[in-house]
Amino acid sequence: MTQSARLHVRVAGIEPLNATLRRITLQHAEGALLPASAPGAHIQLELRGDTRSWRNAYSLVSPPGTRTAYSIIVRKVPQGRGGSLYLHERLAIGQTLTILPPVNLFPIAGLARKHLMLAAGIGVTPFLSTRAALAETPFELHLRCRAADQAAFQTLLAPWPHAHIHAGPDFNPTDLLRHQPLGTHLYLCGPTGFMQAAEAAARALGWPAARIHQEHFGAPTGGRAFDAVLARTGRTIHVAQDQTLLEALEAADIDAPSLCRGGACGECRLPLLAGTPDHRDHFLSESEHATSIMPCVSRSHGEAITIDI
Amino acid sequence: MDQGIKSRPRYQPFRIDPAGTQHLIVTDQPGPPPGIGAAELWTIAPHPGGQSFPTPAALMASLPGHLARQGPGFRLYAIGTEPFIWDVAFIATQAGLTEGELFLHHAGSLARRVHCIHCKTNTDRVTTNIVTCAGCGANLLVRDHFSRRLRAFMGVQVDAETPGILPPIETLYP
Repeated sequence: MTQSARLHVRVAGIEPLNATLRRITLQHAEGALLPASAPGAHIQLELRGDTRSWRNAYSLVSPPGTRTAYSIIVRKVPQGRGGSLYLHERLAIGQTLTILPPVNLFPIAGLARKHLMLAAGIGVTPFLSTRAALAETPFELHLRCRAADQAAFQTLLAPWPHAHIHAGPDFNPTDLLRHQPLGTHLYLCGPTGFMQAAEAAARALGWPAARIHQEHFGAPTGGRAFDAVLARTGRTIHVAQDQTLLEALEAADIDAPSLCRGGACGECRLPLLAGTPDHRDHFLSESEHATSIMPCVSRSHGEAITIDI
Repeated sequence: MDQGIKSRPRYQPFRIDPAGTQHLIVTDQPGPPPGIGAAELWTIAPHPGGQSFPTPAALMASLPGHLARQGPGFRLYAIGTEPFIWDVAFIATQAGLTEGELFLHHAGSLARRVHCIHCKTNTDRVTTNIVTCAGCGANLLVRDHFSRRLRAFMGVQVDAETPGILPPIETLYP
């Protein structure tokens, strides 16, 4: 994504939804209209802390087409890489931020006969903007969440008369997945374990890949530090434990492409020339893993890897 | 005669999709290909182990109700002439089947359904490169241009500028 695509926004509202969830509203810094977004879209926020910066992707929860403001909901993750803590503890009303405009990797299937949406926790956010787009098509939304979040999510899902909230860990979607009419499309968003279990259950029941849609918000978890050798310039950059390879490239002022920043879309893939990669993406095939790496989530098992950039 | 047109459908060889849990094979051919396993079979000509229908139209009429009772894991295989398998595809798509659940396999005659681009009438069982439109009587060149929406090959008047003067008529689609 190039510099020219960036937008400058001002924090217009910060609203706590509960102890760990807050809604943040952003308006154009110069009062102009923002680009229209589609149902299910997300934006990237660029955040600058004292010692490091982050670029995190968040689903828009404002109604699609709203051009006066964007809203996102952020979960505070104390053991995360720090971006959400920054948004919970440092962000102030009136502050300006840089964002990348909305991109939609999780569109609603226009030909679906029914939409079955399964979310866990904060994974409900990409669904919140889709309510109007569902129109007359039947839908069913199930949200698995912690008891502590139930009240906040109930409020957010007020426009969803058919939402089922399952507070607690015991939600098993297998029966739901078994009893769906032909033409139902399945949408999954939540932590990796939840998504993998739901997808495996669907595939075992014979759901074809074309009717399963997933939004991975895999907050990259970090890992051991390593070096990345950039073959085109011979430069070596260091990737710290709590930093992604993509962030290290960006910190070194290398204009690396990216979209979802969660290992799902493939936009950031780079040719891999040497080293033992620790692949963590959901996009590349086994054979592609031999020659490509997605720096937004993947790391190195060894001391160094060489990439073609 | 290669007309250099790329919209002509290509069909994969028949096989049961192992990811499916319920399988229905519908065919207008005398019998199914080998290897149908435990799949349900619908035919026109009576066939052992199959349910038979007096006409393709009768089979088509029974499909929507059957499809409405199916769920994830259902797979539909249409095997036969192109007009038959594309009629099945139309009904299946209406019922919500999508890529990975519906498989089309051409078998039997190459005869084509031809859609007259002038009067919009379909002419069935066309085996020749030139056909007289059943609707407007125009002499139509049968193109390789296949429309999935209309489920037919396009027919274009071949003698508009030289009425009555036609290229040699050949049987190309036996």
